[in-house]
Amino acid sequence: MPYTKRRRLVTSAVAVALGATTLAACGSSDDSGDARSGPVSLTYWTWTPGMDKVVDLWNKGPGKKEQITVTVKKQASGDTLVTKILTAHKAGQGPDLVQAEYQALPTLVSNDALADISSEVGDVKGKFAEGVWQQATLGTDAVYAVPQDIGPMMFYYREDLFKKYGLEVPATWDEFAETARKLKKAAPDKDLTTFSANDSGLFAGLAQQAGAKWWSTEGEKWKVGVNDEATKKVAEFWGGLVKEGAIDNQPMYTPSWNKALNTGKQIAWVSAVWAPGTLTTAAPDTKGKWAMAPLPQWPGGENRTGSWGGSSTGVTTDSKHQDAAAKFAEWLNTDRDALNALAKEGGIYPASTSAQLSGAFSNPPEFFSNQPEFYTKAADIAEKTAPAAWGPNVNVAYTTFKDAFGSAAKNRSDFTAALDTMQEETVADLKKQGFEVAR
Amino acid sequence: MSSLAVRKTRPAAGTTPGTAQGPPPSRRTALVPTITLLLGAAYCLLPVAWVVVAATKSGSELFSTFTFLPGTGFTDNVSDLSTYRDGVYWQWMANSALYAGLGALLSTAVSALSGYALATYRFRGRETLFNVLLAGVLMPPVILAVPQYLLLAEANLTDSYLAVLLPQILSPYGVYLARIYASAAVPADVVEAGRMDGASEWRIFTRVALPMMVPGLVTVFLFQFVAVWNNFLLPYIMLSDDEKFPITLGLYTLLEQGANTPALYTLVITGAFLAVLPLVVLFLVVQRFWSLDLLSGAVKS
Amino acid sequence: MTSTTARRRPYGVRSAPYAFLLPAITLFLLFFALPIGYAVHLSFRKVEVSGLGLGAGARQEVWAGLQNYTDALTDSELLNGALRVLGYGCIVVPVMLGLALLFALMLDSEKVRFTPVTRLAIFLPYAIPGVVAALLWGFLYLPDVSPFYFVLERLALPQPDLLDGGPLYLALSNIAIWGGTGFNMIVIYTALRAIPAEVYEAAKLDGASPLQIALRIKIPMVAPSLVLTFFFSIIATLQVFNEPTTLKPLTNSVPTTWSPLMKVYQDAFGNGDIHAASAQAAIIAFVTLALSFGFLRAANRRNKQEAAR
Repeated sequence: MPYTKRRRLVTSAVAVALGATTLAACGSSDDSGDARSGPVSLTYWTWTPGMDKVVDLWNKGPGKKEQITVTVKKQASGDTLVTKILTAHKAGQGPDLVQAEYQALPTLVSNDALADISSEVGDVKGKFAEGVWQQATLGTDAVYAVPQDIGPMMFYYREDLFKKYGLEVPATWDEFAETARKLKKAAPDKDLTTFSANDSGLFAGLAQQAGAKWWSTEGEKWKVGVNDEATKKVAEFWGGLVKEGAIDNQPMYTPSWNKALNTGKQIAWVSAVWAPGTLTTAAPDTKGKWAMAPLPQWPGGENRTGSWGGSSTGVTTDSKHQDAAAKFAEWLNTDRDALNALAKEGGIYPASTSAQLSGAFSNPPEFFSNQPEFYTKAADIAEKTAPAAWGPNVNVAYTTFKDAFGSAAKNRSDFTAALDTMQEETVADLKKQGFEVAR
Repeated sequence: MSSLAVRKTRPAAGTTPGTAQGPPPSRRTALVPTITLLLGAAYCLLPVAWVVVAATKSGSELFSTFTFLPGTGFTDNVSDLSTYRDGVYWQWMANSALYAGLGALLSTAVSALSGYALATYRFRGRETLFNVLLAGVLMPPVILAVPQYLLLAEANLTDSYLAVLLPQILSPYGVYLARIYASAAVPADVVEAGRMDGASEWRIFTRVALPMMVPGLVTVFLFQFVAVWNNFLLPYIMLSDDEKFPITLGLYTLLEQGANTPALYTLVITGAFLAVLPLVVLFLVVQRFWSLDLLSGAVKS
Repeated sequence: MTSTTARRRPYGVRSAPYAFLLPAITLFLLFFALPIGYAVHLSFRKVEVSGLGLGAGARQEVWAGLQNYTDALTDSELLNGALRVLGYGCIVVPVMLGLALLFALMLDSEKVRFTPVTRLAIFLPYAIPGVVAALLWGFLYLPDVSPFYFVLERLALPQPDLLDGGPLYLALSNIAIWGGTGFNMIVIYTALRAIPAEVYEAAKLDGASPLQIALRIKIPMVAPSLVLTFFFSIIATLQVFNEPTTLKPLTNSVPTTWSPLMKVYQDAFGNGDIHAASAQAAIIAFVTLALSFGFLRAANRRNKQEAAR
């Protein structure tokens, strides 16, 4: 494919550009290596619930041996955390370790907040799917984070209601549209699902599945492809469904949405592997009535999925003990016991491929006890995750998405126009920041 | 009665839209204000009642039963909340009490000093100083949080109790209220009489003026207490250790758990309900001091 | 400290106000003036990126001159936000202050019953944190979960969409009015309480009705408080942030930059551009300053005219 070739060229270009940095980073990590003779204590900003219990395992086990103690400082997740990290970094008071969503990594790296830990953790590459690892390296030779959890996307549907209305599980997006129309005809007050404009990650994942590459580099320039053919296809598809009224246009995660799922007003949800957790609280009365299937596919495309959510563990440049921090990050995200505890306490779906079928994942989630093969299926789907390509201003693109698609969904108007707005704003912001943008 | 006549001659002049909608004037004058206030109270309480009701609901009842029917999960919700991260919720509560209580106390002290000085002394630069202090509210707090963080970082004070306390001590609102109240409640001749008796300025302030200002200062304390209790952005930027979080920030971390963990609605609502309780208690306590102003008014007349 | 200055009397009296004001001035300098100065400094700078912007030294803070300001002033989002806020303020400020004054006068009138309860109830929303208000109004505004819609449906009444178009302004204003009336009521009520009782006695002896006392004596006497509440309400309106942010996730109708301050927040915390955000904040602060002091001057002039009459 022409794309792969270009990507490789880009990779080497970025690698050259980063050569100096990598050297500098090596130098500093040597220093910190020398400095470490006695016990080390590290701080870790994370939002994963139950992380303190996982860290206890480290502090009592390998950490004790290595004399590395880690303290969890629990944070709220979200876009604002990036600003908080950058503000702390500006004051030189960042923590040693941070949890960061994949799409935030380029922003953090471009602000020099994350250290290159390739010399410490480079050899764990094989434990992760290629597309996931590439997000942690930004396609360079450096490694900026160790992948923690991933969110491969899937199709969730009410098994009982599908049967009731005589619906088939859609294998392609065309069938998905047909299913939505069929349901509307059978039960006009019900919707297959909604197109929600309040979580950009969902749309990004859908575009990814269709083969979109929102950011890429050409030499020393960034290229923005938010309105590329693949994304346009996705936008037109959902815009069409909203316009004809085949699906709802209200946002997700509102009390209304919870109720719609709980009462069966909406009978399907395009989501990710973590959906069982959300459904447990959003639609508690529907336990055991849902089933999961692979995401519908685009014609001609290979069988694959996008990702929605997921995060990684990074070591900051402010840390005085980067090697120790990297050691912990590696343990946390590759050690069997650690990952088991993470799954149990934090409810995460591990990025490490070997952990996806063991321990906590040998049984289906409680909410899906009717689907014993849930995690086997999930691991199969996860394997085919399309690569993601993030750039330094994902936040701007995401915000524009919410506004432009929000009003397009509300007015049931043209989604491609909204997409063009998103492209323009993203490019304009890059230029404003002083980046060179390739046409 | 006579109020009717007045209303006719001066239709709604100086009154408010609310008056027109209020109940018609009755023979007993006290009925109008009582009913108006009860209506206002109902308007304000109705949404609050929802929080109370929602806190009693279990996860499945929250989205399925009629909103104003109480649920069955209150005790479970409270015990869930208490066991969350080894009871960190109560630590947040204690932190909030410390930030708000100590912060409001210091703030009231500073406001009292400043308000008294601005009200009773004539000195060069008084109005300028007052206007400059007031102008502090013009800059949105959103934009001040980051510079405040960077400056406190210079002093190595970030992620400490002081980082949240210090920036919130000075309250332009408090200074203004204290000034208004001091100028109304502390007569100049009383201060002058104190001077004649040879009392020091400090003594006049603490022994004579301060007691007269109490009802106004109670209001300042209350406002500042609520302001600190509900402040979110400053602690969010300043603190990284959740053992030091105030309740608002703690509840926010419960809501924003990342994509893979849904918001813990029931915990948040129960937590929010419990977080409002101390404020209600505070208000009830403060009511007693507010009634002091009637006494002081009587003494004056 | 103060006691030593007070020992020498003439000097003590002269220096006492400064000593009393010292804590406020120190705190102001440290936590307002310095950060504001820093923010203004930041507003004249920007970050320049070289190359792909990856790695150390790829970003540099440079002098930007007035660029952030010209960008902000030509930004249509900021202007649209300002216009929206204008419409919103025209509802909030009069209704909220009107209700606050009404309630304060009612509380202050004689023979009123249940005042401890009603006063507390009306002030209570002020104590509800924004996060909770979000959940609360979400449940009350969204047709599927709202008890009000439940009742409307039962009665077969029309069910308006509160989160779109014109009603959205009402929905937003309602939250602000609900949350702010109690605060302003207490400010006015405190001022009413500070009026010495003897002022009313004469009027009462002359047979003035409570309404006449309210209109002729009470309202003019609390005029400074009304000016104050108006002043603070204008500032709060121009800085409106909580209510639209609260409703934003529930509907497609509230964009991220609905109000100017939301735009500031978005730039500072969403996009990490503290420089642009500082410039916008400075402009908002300046407009607020101009408007509120313009208002204060106008109010003063009227007061003087009335005094002259």
